[in-house]
Amino acid sequence: MTQAPDKAKERLSQISTHLKPDSQPNVLPGSDMGKDVLLKKSPDDVVVTCAIRSPFTKAGKGQLKDTMAADLLAYTFENLISKSKIDPNLVEDIVTGCVLAPGGGATEYRAAALAAGFPDTTAVKSLNRQCSSGLQACVDIANQIKTGMIEIGIGSGVESMSTQYGPGAVTEFSDLLENHMQAANCKVPMGVLSEQMAKDRKVTRADQDAFAASSYQKAVKAQEQGLFDEEIMPVTVKYTNPKTDEEKTVTVTKDDGVRPGITAESLSKIRAAFAKDGSIHAGNASQVTDGASAVLLMKRSTAERLGQTILGKFVNASVVGVPPLLMGIGPWKAIPVVLEKAGISKDDVDIYEINEAFASQCVWCLKELGLDEKKVNPKGGAIAFGHPLGCTGARQVGTLLTELRRTGQKIGVSSMCVGTGMGMAAVWVAE
Amino acid sequence: MLEFRTQGFQGYAVKYSPFFDNRLAVAASANYGLVGNGRLYVLELTANGIQCLKWYPTQDALYDVAHSEVHSNHLLTSSGDGSLRLYDVSLAPEFPIATFQEHSREAFSCSWNLTSKATFASSSWDGNVKIWNPERQQSLLTLPTHSCTYSTQWNPHTDGLLSAVCSDSHLRVWDLRTPASANNHLILQIPIHSAPNTINNARLQPTFPPSEALTHDWNKYRSEVLATAGVDRIIRTFDIRQPKGPVQLLQGHTYAVRKVAWSPHLPDLLLSASYDMTCRVWSDGGGAPGKPAAELGNMGRHTEFATGVDWCMFGNEGWAATCGWDERVCVWDVRAFMSG
Repeated sequence: MTQAPDKAKERLSQISTHLKPDSQPNVLPGSDMGKDVLLKKSPDDVVVTCAIRSPFTKAGKGQLKDTMAADLLAYTFENLISKSKIDPNLVEDIVTGCVLAPGGGATEYRAAALAAGFPDTTAVKSLNRQCSSGLQACVDIANQIKTGMIEIGIGSGVESMSTQYGPGAVTEFSDLLENHMQAANCKVPMGVLSEQMAKDRKVTRADQDAFAASSYQKAVKAQEQGLFDEEIMPVTVKYTNPKTDEEKTVTVTKDDGVRPGITAESLSKIRAAFAKDGSIHAGNASQVTDGASAVLLMKRSTAERLGQTILGKFVNASVVGVPPLLMGIGPWKAIPVVLEKAGISKDDVDIYEINEAFASQCVWCLKELGLDEKKVNPKGGAIAFGHPLGCTGARQVGTLLTELRRTGQKIGVSSMCVGTGMGMAAVWVAE
Repeated sequence: MLEFRTQGFQGYAVKYSPFFDNRLAVAASANYGLVGNGRLYVLELTANGIQCLKWYPTQDALYDVAHSEVHSNHLLTSSGDGSLRLYDVSLAPEFPIATFQEHSREAFSCSWNLTSKATFASSSWDGNVKIWNPERQQSLLTLPTHSCTYSTQWNPHTDGLLSAVCSDSHLRVWDLRTPASANNHLILQIPIHSAPNTINNARLQPTFPPSEALTHDWNKYRSEVLATAGVDRIIRTFDIRQPKGPVQLLQGHTYAVRKVAWSPHLPDLLLSASYDMTCRVWSDGGGAPGKPAAELGNMGRHTEFATGVDWCMFGNEGWAATCGWDERVCVWDVRAFMSG
């Protein structure tokens, strides 16, 4: 017998396509649209077979504060390999989103992939689309798979805000940029412009605090119920106690930003951070945090051949531009675009993961889009457990698919506003 | 109904001999054709039921069988290892008299040229249809489809006209009489899933997603008509003079259709075998205007996927043979299952 070992598997998957129940034709005009089409499974779907992240800890204080971004990324890659049991030799490309690393982190992340056990045949790139870098990384990989450029890839994101947050992340603006109004606006700090936007768009402090408190409460509940256990993989790192200067090895297992007992009432006492009469403060904005996340993507046919568990599929994504000073409205513009591309309405979506950069912009987007608050960030968001900039977009994939699967729901949207005035959104279908 | 058990081997194809009215060939495979050996059975209908005249072991699964149109004892098989093998039943040894190995993946169908009778064709999951002469080791011609090709058939009326259906949901027709120009003899490429010809009102136009086509057959009386079927459970008839879309849609099977065969006796009668374990008899109306297509009968004796059907060319016009993954070959009279 000279049959290749994969022969039987290949034949089985070939013949099993004959029996797919969803290959039933749509005979009614117009029914070939919308939700039904989205829920169909095809061999060329780009699917997620593993989506994990490190625990998120507070920048400068948490247990990850002494860990370099590349190390955190390497540990997360190791965890991804061990959880998914993917053969690292089969991974053709890795994209890592990050915002603050000088040089985009390109060199360090290639090194991190090698250190994590990927062979030198696995390519690596880093990218920076500000706060949507993690999502952009996943979308890039998905599109590469769709076009046949690669078969298996990893979208990921990392940010060590402890070690890399600061003025060094942006170079001086030239006269050309400084003298162009819209261009110069790209430099306005997020907090300042969000404060102005909250004022202009009349998002009250009370609304923001209520939203932020609910994020905390949801996250506390989710943490107690262990709803993050599936997405968080512990990492073991060195940590220096700031009081005793003593260095020790610790295993970090959970997010440290999630605090119990927070109410709108308790948040109302915090002083505004960016203006005396302002409404934004540390309690209703995203936390400054360290973290890494990674998502394993491949074609459905490949996943079935390799026996990988399919968590869900990537459907499509949108990216839009908005005025730099109104960057917070990004999701409001990006979500309708992606829904239209997917051929579904906002009510077809079961869960929205919308990044809570600031409660103000998130509250405004939800109201303007008319989204049901119960569907948004059911396990809390960046206000409660942090927003490691480049990591968040990839983090949302795991958070979203895990919750959709747990609750038996199907369609999810992940979205975020993007600094300098953009928005991104993507549609995912859990299985 | 007569039965024969292909013990331990699941049927993939059954064909009546064009020379002997009592002879059948069955291509069968162990482990549902996924891994392991195949077996070619040569069966005879006798007064004592179906008897096995001979069987041949093969190294890989067998997916199709065709009788030679020139030599009454020659049988051709197509196999999981991509090979085509020619057997002579009148000879003693249990190995083939010729092997044709060019396909790089599973050879899923083979068809003997019904008009010139000098050549045969094969189709494979490697995305090629190949034309062969049994006296030559190398193929005469390779016709790429770039898509897993489940079925190839010669037109029974016109020499050089050949067709195939593929997993890309297209029906291709080649005319080997045309010069081998850039389009490589390809004269037609019809999307099987396109809207039916008969529907003119754009608003009511039904839409069908593309779907893998698994089988097709040329009508034995109407030289331009053929039927296709596959994963979307619909049997469609096409008239290659109107290559825009299907003429008739025959719906009823509840799972993918694995095999269709037009009757050699009646111009409108079609037999199908399906993953829904039934074999069904259909009339496409015979192409006469106003005569509706209809399902005429349903044979549900198979207890697993029904994979092969063929009509007997001799005797009464209703005799047919079917095989399936239940390891049974059934020989039955179609008329007994027709409702009227």
